[in-house]
Amino acid sequence: MKRARILHQGNEAWAELVDDQLRLPDGTGVAIADAQWLAPVTPGATIFALGLNYADHNKELGFSAKQATPLVFLKGHATLQGHGGTTPRPADANQMHPECELVAIIGRTARNVSEADALTYVGGYTIANDYAIREYLENYYRPNARVKNRDHATPLGPWIVDAADVPDPQLLKLSTTVNGTVVQHGSTADMILSVAGLIAYLSGFMTLSPGDMILTGTPHGVHFVAVGDTVVSEIEGVGQLVNHVVAA
Amino acid sequence: MITGCTYGVVLNDRGERTALATSFKSPPYKAPPEAPVVYIKPRNCITVEGAAISAPEFAETEVDALEVAATIAVVFAHDLTKVDADAALAGIGAARLAIDVCVPHASYYRPAIAERCRDGFLPLGESAGLPAGSIQITTFIDDVKAHSWSLDYLVRPIGQLISDLSQFMTLCAGDALLVGLPGDAPQAGVGQTVRVEAEGFPTLTTRIESEARA
Repeated sequence: MKRARILHQGNEAWAELVDDQLRLPDGTGVAIADAQWLAPVTPGATIFALGLNYADHNKELGFSAKQATPLVFLKGHATLQGHGGTTPRPADANQMHPECELVAIIGRTARNVSEADALTYVGGYTIANDYAIREYLENYYRPNARVKNRDHATPLGPWIVDAADVPDPQLLKLSTTVNGTVVQHGSTADMILSVAGLIAYLSGFMTLSPGDMILTGTPHGVHFVAVGDTVVSEIEGVGQLVNHVVAA
Repeated sequence: MITGCTYGVVLNDRGERTALATSFKSPPYKAPPEAPVVYIKPRNCITVEGAAISAPEFAETEVDALEVAATIAVVFAHDLTKVDADAALAGIGAARLAIDVCVPHASYYRPAIAERCRDGFLPLGESAGLPAGSIQITTFIDDVKAHSWSLDYLVRPIGQLISDLSQFMTLCAGDALLVGLPGDAPQAGVGQTVRVEAEGFPTLTTRIESEARA
């Protein structure tokens, strides 16, 4: 099952994808082409993101393959953006690049969970495009908020796919295309810390609640985007997330 | 009421910035911070007046106490995007005393999630209005005065801080912002009671307990 968060007649609603329609709880159907997509996030959810979680990407950026401590950072909700939406590119952001990431959504409360059990705590999966602007990097709580917590700069969606429909989250191809050209491709098999490993790590020192999201990092492929570009982040078995780069 | 995200900033204490000025020029920092240095306290951190804080097991071995940094959380009544300092202040709906708890750590290079984001690591006091004048915040540990500082020490005063943040991230109605932490915050160990007072705010107390693992 796929569940999307959409705006419908002035209300936010969860809708289920049935055939080519988004079906609201009251049975009303909305054609996919007409949907106003919101990021499929629950209010208050904690949004984790991983830096340097793919060995090949670390090499590309000049970092060692494996970090001594997982590089985790958090995001607010104002940085999220729905499927088909726009992300502003500041005029001086010549090094703004998309990052396709598998997102795991926590399905039930998790605390001190073992890696072996961790996947049973996942409710579903979605896709994020965790844009970064390298000009704004500073070496304080890096990657800093001006790089990673910008308004509308983390497209996420289009929907949440049930965990039951993703048999192995570590065997998924992911890619980014910009105006149809592939600029990033890889496999979740190359994650340093797997989805299960991340849940075990995080739940070892804090409680994870239903709705919390973990953006699990991105593989190699740094391509700078321009205003007018259409960026598609795709993960096998999950879907395609579309974003348009606009002038800030 | 806090219904959204709770942000905070480090390195907004003038004394701490002066003390660290030399190390800012060295690796891994290489240059002093320009933008406000932001962190997030996720929802599992927030507790209320009187609730206890669980010190993690390793607090009894590697370190023997938790850092308890007293500050003010401002809660937003409006969405603030690219506002000036005056509009920023006008967008504040309430203020609360806060104890931002962390496992002591020396580096500001990487986000300190395991150190700052544990369950119960953000006791918040009852809502009050934000006083117009100077705000002096005093921390007592087991009834002994352990620390006192004034928000006059902030590098970016509250209005300026919100304005600078709002240039790239909207502070939404229901979000909160911890306006700065004292660089010389005291530490409290298991069994100790921490009380924070500031004129115009209801007193905030908490107690450090040992984390009992199931």
